[in-house]
Amino acid sequence: MSRMSTTAPTRERTERPDDVAEPDIPWVVIVWNDPVNLMSYVVFVLQKLFGYDREKATRLMLDVHHKGKAVVSSGPREKAEFDVYRLHGHGLWATMQKDR
Amino acid sequence: MAGSFKRIGNDRVRVRLANDEVAVLRGLPDQLRTVLGEGEDEPVNRRLFPPAYLDVADIEHDAEFQRLMHDDLVSEKLTNLDLVTDSLARGTSSVRRWTVELTDEEATAWLGVLNDLRLALGVRLDITEDFDGDVDDTDPRAPALRLLSYLGWLEEQLLEALQS
Repeated sequence: MSRMSTTAPTRERTERPDDVAEPDIPWVVIVWNDPVNLMSYVVFVLQKLFGYDREKATRLMLDVHHKGKAVVSSGPREKAEFDVYRLHGHGLWATMQKDR
Repeated sequence: MAGSFKRIGNDRVRVRLANDEVAVLRGLPDQLRTVLGEGEDEPVNRRLFPPAYLDVADIEHDAEFQRLMHDDLVSEKLTNLDLVTDSLARGTSSVRRWTVELTDEEATAWLGVLNDLRLALGVRLDITEDFDGDVDDTDPRAPALRLLSYLGWLEEQLLEALQS
């Protein structure tokens, strides 16, 4: 097999999906560990913003604390952006990325 | 020690602090206002307004996010600071203690400001490990670490009051 035929498919796989395909790919919102935010505050914010019960919010907070990060919500890009915006407004270190 | 924050009825939180505590708190909002007015490269602002997208492939999305959201996030924080400053000015002092009653909106603003102040101090102090509140007196950062610890103690009490 020629070198050309092996590189071409590789390049194709690394191409980004076009905008038409984007709505099909859910986005995840990640909260990252932070040495200053109080554990009780993180639980409070997750309950307030997402309506999670205390048990679920605590489990997510502990994942953030022990594993360094946790997915706290997911959905279309606009929803994920809104969630990141609200988390930033409350001082949590949040980012979003495609779920893949 | 009596609690600094106490839920009064459904929609009020009473704050009771020593006069010297209030004196410390009154000096803090303006410091945060000043930082918020500085550019995005100011390290505290980098922490308060982090990127939404980490993937370099999403860099244009992130620029759009910052363009649409950043000013709103700053104005929310400034509104919180104004509410805290107003309530710090409104409270009344007796010989030993200072008291004020907060609306729910003001109590939420206090929570946000206490947290923002702690995040800002954390950046200034370069805190990278979980801070347990213990302060070594010989550490040159001891006064600022004690302030961080004090603000955390207040924040814990306010969280308890808001959830009681």
